[in-house]
Amino acid sequence: MGAPGHRAARGGATSNSDGQRNGVSGEVEPDVRFTLANERTFLAWNRTALALVVAGLGIVQLLPPFPGVPWGRHVLGVPLIVLGAVVSVTAYLEWRRTQAAMRRSEPIPQSVLPRILVATITGIAALSAVVLLVSAAR
Amino acid sequence: MPPDRPEGHPAGAAPELPDDPEDLAPGTAAERTRLAWERTAIGFGAVGLAMLRREPVAGLLVLAVAPLIWALGRYVSARARPEARSRRLLLVTVGVTGVAVLALIAAFLGHGGPVRLR
Repeated sequence: MGAPGHRAARGGATSNSDGQRNGVSGEVEPDVRFTLANERTFLAWNRTALALVVAGLGIVQLLPPFPGVPWGRHVLGVPLIVLGAVVSVTAYLEWRRTQAAMRRSEPIPQSVLPRILVATITGIAALSAVVLLVSAAR
Repeated sequence: MPPDRPEGHPAGAAPELPDDPEDLAPGTAAERTRLAWERTAIGFGAVGLAMLRREPVAGLLVLAVAPLIWALGRYVSARARPEARSRRLLLVTVGVTGVAVLALIAAFLGHGGPVRLR
């Protein structure tokens, strides 16, 4: 089987021996290697989500309180926990979209997850600086 | 007689690798996916253990999810039906979202909280 990655880059569905007819007109189950790669990406995002939840909970429960800023730990930790849930749900939706695109031999849609992650982590870093400055000023 | 190695490759040189490393051993895709499931199960276990000390009930609940995820990973199959695959992945999402909800409850009502705003 040659150059499966090239087919994936163009959309992924194949009509080789690994392809299975889906019963839907024009849709073919993609090469199983692409399906498994899509599944591994989903699992990797979910491990990231778990790490975010643990980081958020760790901030709330393990950090000592910021002097003069009693809400500081929650302001930093809760968005990380919420981000974990958002990442997990979005990863599932993206897995479905990618799988559907591969079945229809369409280009694989671009993921929004890196942008969500970058925006939220940058926001939390800025918020951390604010909390530290407010705490130091009091 | 055809050459037994590409031109420009002296004797003893490493053979040229394919563009996609997966072409070297295509059968390992399912194995690597199973390992990814096992790492995810270990992730749930680690989160459960981390929560156990401060929030024993929530920690035990999360720990109980870990073997379930591990078991789901044992059923990685090249021939799995799309609906079955979708349901397995949905269970992971439900698990992670459930852990996030437990963590939020623990953050507001557990040892980190309740939040006291001045």
